[in-house]
Amino acid sequence: MHSVIRPNAWVALKLPSGSTKVLQIAPNTAISLGKYGSFPSNLIIGRPYHLTFELLDKLPDETFSRLRVVTTNELYAEVFAEESAPDCATPAAGASDTVISATDGEEFSLVDDKGNVIARSNREVIDENARQTLTQDEIEELKREGNNAGKDVIAKLLLSHTALDQKTSFSLAKYKLLKTKKYIRRFQVLPIDVATFAHWQLEERDASKIMDLRAEMIGLVGCWGNVHFGGDDVLLQDPKASTAAGDEACLPVDEDLLRGRWLVVDDTCGLLVAAMAERMGVLYEGEEAEAEGETEQPPASTENSQEPQTSTSPPERTPKDADTEMTDAPADSVKRQSDGKPKQQKPRPSDFSIPYSQTNTITVVHGASQPNLSLLNYWGFDITSPNHPPHPLLNHLLNLTWLQLLKPELDTSYSTAPLTAAPETLASWKPSRRGNFHRKRRRYARIRHVVDNTRAGNFSGLVCASTMDPISILRHTLPLLAGGAPVALYSPSVEPLAALADCFSVPRRTAWVSGSVPEIEGLSNEELERWQGNERFPLNPTLLQGVSIQTSRARRWQVLPGRTHPLMTERGGADGYVFTAWRAKPAEGKVAAKGKFKRRKVDSEATTPTPA
Amino acid sequence: MTPTTRNISPFLDPGPRTKANSLAILQLSRDNLLPVYLQPPTGEHDGYAEGAVVNTRYGSFPHSTMLNVPWGSQIRASKVDTGSRGRKRKREGVDDACREATGAAEKENEDSPAATNEDSATAVKKAVADASGFIHILPPTPELWTTSLPHRTQVVYTPDYSYILHRIRARPGSVLIEAGAGSGSFTHASVRAVYNGYPAEGERKGKVFSFEFHEQRYHKMKKELSDHGMNRLVHLTHRDVYNGGFLVDGKSPEADAVFLDLPAPWEALHHLSRRRPQTPLNGNAAPTENDQTEWVSPLNPKKSVHLCTFSPCIEQVTRTVSAMRRLGWVDIDMVEIANRKLHTSRERVGLNLNFDRGVNNSARDVEEALTRLVDIESRFREHAAKPRDGDEDMDSADEDEPAVVKGDGPTNGGQAPSAEETAAETAPWMEGRLITRGEPEIKTHTSYLVFAVLPMDWTEEDEAAAAAKYPLGKEQKVIGAIDKVARKQERREALQKQQGAGNRKARRKERDTKMGEAAA
Repeated sequence: MHSVIRPNAWVALKLPSGSTKVLQIAPNTAISLGKYGSFPSNLIIGRPYHLTFELLDKLPDETFSRLRVVTTNELYAEVFAEESAPDCATPAAGASDTVISATDGEEFSLVDDKGNVIARSNREVIDENARQTLTQDEIEELKREGNNAGKDVIAKLLLSHTALDQKTSFSLAKYKLLKTKKYIRRFQVLPIDVATFAHWQLEERDASKIMDLRAEMIGLVGCWGNVHFGGDDVLLQDPKASTAAGDEACLPVDEDLLRGRWLVVDDTCGLLVAAMAERMGVLYEGEEAEAEGETEQPPASTENSQEPQTSTSPPERTPKDADTEMTDAPADSVKRQSDGKPKQQKPRPSDFSIPYSQTNTITVVHGASQPNLSLLNYWGFDITSPNHPPHPLLNHLLNLTWLQLLKPELDTSYSTAPLTAAPETLASWKPSRRGNFHRKRRRYARIRHVVDNTRAGNFSGLVCASTMDPISILRHTLPLLAGGAPVALYSPSVEPLAALADCFSVPRRTAWVSGSVPEIEGLSNEELERWQGNERFPLNPTLLQGVSIQTSRARRWQVLPGRTHPLMTERGGADGYVFTAWRAKPAEGKVAAKGKFKRRKVDSEATTPTPA
Repeated sequence: MTPTTRNISPFLDPGPRTKANSLAILQLSRDNLLPVYLQPPTGEHDGYAEGAVVNTRYGSFPHSTMLNVPWGSQIRASKVDTGSRGRKRKREGVDDACREATGAAEKENEDSPAATNEDSATAVKKAVADASGFIHILPPTPELWTTSLPHRTQVVYTPDYSYILHRIRARPGSVLIEAGAGSGSFTHASVRAVYNGYPAEGERKGKVFSFEFHEQRYHKMKKELSDHGMNRLVHLTHRDVYNGGFLVDGKSPEADAVFLDLPAPWEALHHLSRRRPQTPLNGNAAPTENDQTEWVSPLNPKKSVHLCTFSPCIEQVTRTVSAMRRLGWVDIDMVEIANRKLHTSRERVGLNLNFDRGVNNSARDVEEALTRLVDIESRFREHAAKPRDGDEDMDSADEDEPAVVKGDGPTNGGQAPSAEETAAETAPWMEGRLITRGEPEIKTHTSYLVFAVLPMDWTEEDEAAAAAKYPLGKEQKVIGAIDKVARKQERREALQKQQGAGNRKARRKERDTKMGEAAA
């Protein structure tokens, strides 16, 4: 994926000022970069990512700028000049002749002036405004003229600076960088993946929306949650239930098929889900098809290529169908909208067929009646949309409310029996009523499937970034985890996690297993797993092992010849903490742990054996 | 094409229960982990009647008690005769006594699944539970493996590799080059990251191409990978990549991401180009046979390639970055990861607390200090006011002193209100203030991480083809940063359109269409 810029792809445009613009690149539009100018989107569609483009001067008869790819030799010309300057220690200077030669010979005109500048003391104080002889009007005039992508302005600014020769090489570099950021007309196109997107959301948009989730934390949560591809898709056979059949025709939960499922509580508007989906290979669609370029009949996408061992996939997601979807794109999708379903030979699945895979899934539990996963829109997925165009998340993302998880009998959509109607009656109805009938039955079957599967438990891991109290989350989710499953909770501040870790403190656990706790006497392991908590023991302290809290922080450095140091400022705010542990299966009965000490023979005789 | 379940590495899918001949991680205490390959019970092993046994400071654990139990299970220690192995058994009597004493426990063991598979190994002595302690048995994950693996080199720890894998976009289906396999912690983590199923013959799936220069480490690593069921997911090569490059059997691995944990990454970097570097980076690294043949890039030609190098010294970083710039890498970014683990505990401060470990017996707050001072003061005054006879002053003073000290305890206890509170209801583990603090020793520096991206090769012909495919001149709309007037105009038009076409359904339909287009 992300080989070349596709039409209608979401991308991030990195501007010289350091800011990023996130745009959907629609074909046949003009993209405006504000003061840097504008260019037609068709000039970057079909081109590779990560190249640096420069806006050329407008041709006399055109209203837009054309683009030019800036070679890396040009990008780094200054650094190279510095490295080859005599008094600068240049580790790899000898390697300069090995460089792949630049296809474009244009040089940055200032380099020659600059390469020879030697470090000076900064005794003479330079007041920048006073020494700049160009007035603002003159600068504006220069910008309006053909100005060679802003380089002329920068050059003139530097040349008309009267005290340029008094600057030290450091302050000169800084001055030039400042002017370059302001006037150079270059940009870079980056793909919207989780890392790029999260960085943009954190640094330039609303960090509170994603709970200040830094890249370090996304990495840690993903690794400690052991989130990874959870196995090839297994889809359930269509029960082919007739419309007269009710609840009894629904597919039962087959616990043996359930593998590689992660439970998520996400209050980051879907960023956490996106990060997990990326790790599980269900975020980007048509990955291989994209890599093939525009060739006809691309191989099926990863999800589809794996024929489930136990059953067949539903018609909507057969590889063949996905292919047609890929090749003749917009026209077909419009048609798809107009008549609801694409024309196909296969019969449509029955109402009770389950589109979800049994493996490699993400189950989101949410507090509101609808999950807030709005950021997934950047990856082309909208959870609120019915008749969604194909997307891998469609059959790998399950969601249910806390009510459906904990008290399903109180949830109307779960507890109301599905509508039934004999085929004859159904045929006599108006199409709209029939449509509603099917829609409601489908929804019932799906909700039932999601709720029953989730309540069956045996999840491979729990990952959380929530504003809710973690103790309450764990109280209800711990029983759902398989033995040995990892738990990874993110919190922007340490206090909630510390309170949680305290529930598993050694004194608490010791007291619990010592058998001196009146309230748990006589409870079976089963009952203890579902321990609802009291003030003394908010959680069953034996259900987690290896409880630990950590925080990570990346410190960025500037690496330039002779000027390598950590950046002076970075984003502050929440540090971010991760709570990690593993789900334990405590042994039945009292467990003694007195250690093995040789000299205490008397003791060992005195102890009573572990009661059954 | 899908492998049978038993072939899947326990790192990727451990299954619900522990299995024989598979890796399990024993958690002895929080940070004390022990990797163990569980052995099926096949009679006496190494002198143990119970078969293979793990001996720890928390007791002895025969493998038979740890087989076929759910992952995460708490395992009780067993009574194992560790003393008389190989010698004639002298302590027969003692053993019998133990057996009798733990009869009840034994009965329970019989019910547990661990003890039910005796038919297969009748020769194996059944394990008897012991009260000396317990452990937990965890499924292997790269994190657990990283903290428990046998060190051969410096290890890339979880805080670093989690960040690296995120930044170099290692995802299911990626092909990753790793040079300097070392102890294998990064290898395991990257296998998990790129895994999207075991590859069928000739199929491209997520894979790690790992290179190790050191022969012994190479063999150990090879063994480890096959033990962990990762043979087909990792292609391990014994090679010096500075001279040998990254091709495998002369073919390109077509890597999407690269991780270099080498002492001199800049000497390997020239192999990671799109086209043949015009002259080799080092005079000595000129493989002559390569000059005649066509130069093959080990990188995926259809994608930007992400790279990370891992070097402890700043000098290495400078040279690496310099070489990267000359070889056309962009977005060069150097970071350093600082990770801290936090311990939580209860801090108890107060005058009237017991003398447990970790209790600070000084005044809890100013009020408590004040109360105490007033108390001392008043008693002092009381004492001074006592009428005393001139001749017995020395003796009485001596007698009085201890009396004051004796009285100190009860009075103090009675005065502090906190003592009553704590003694009455609060459990001892809820006393005091909850605090977090760092570990006693922290890793302040692991290595510098240098990230870079190498874009696809883009030629004049490619550009011409793309230009023909996406012709100019049909621009209708402006997106991005547009000025105020244009945006106002646009909004006005959109509003009119909305009022015309109106309802929610239509809008949703429109959005669906748009997404359909985007998806295509």
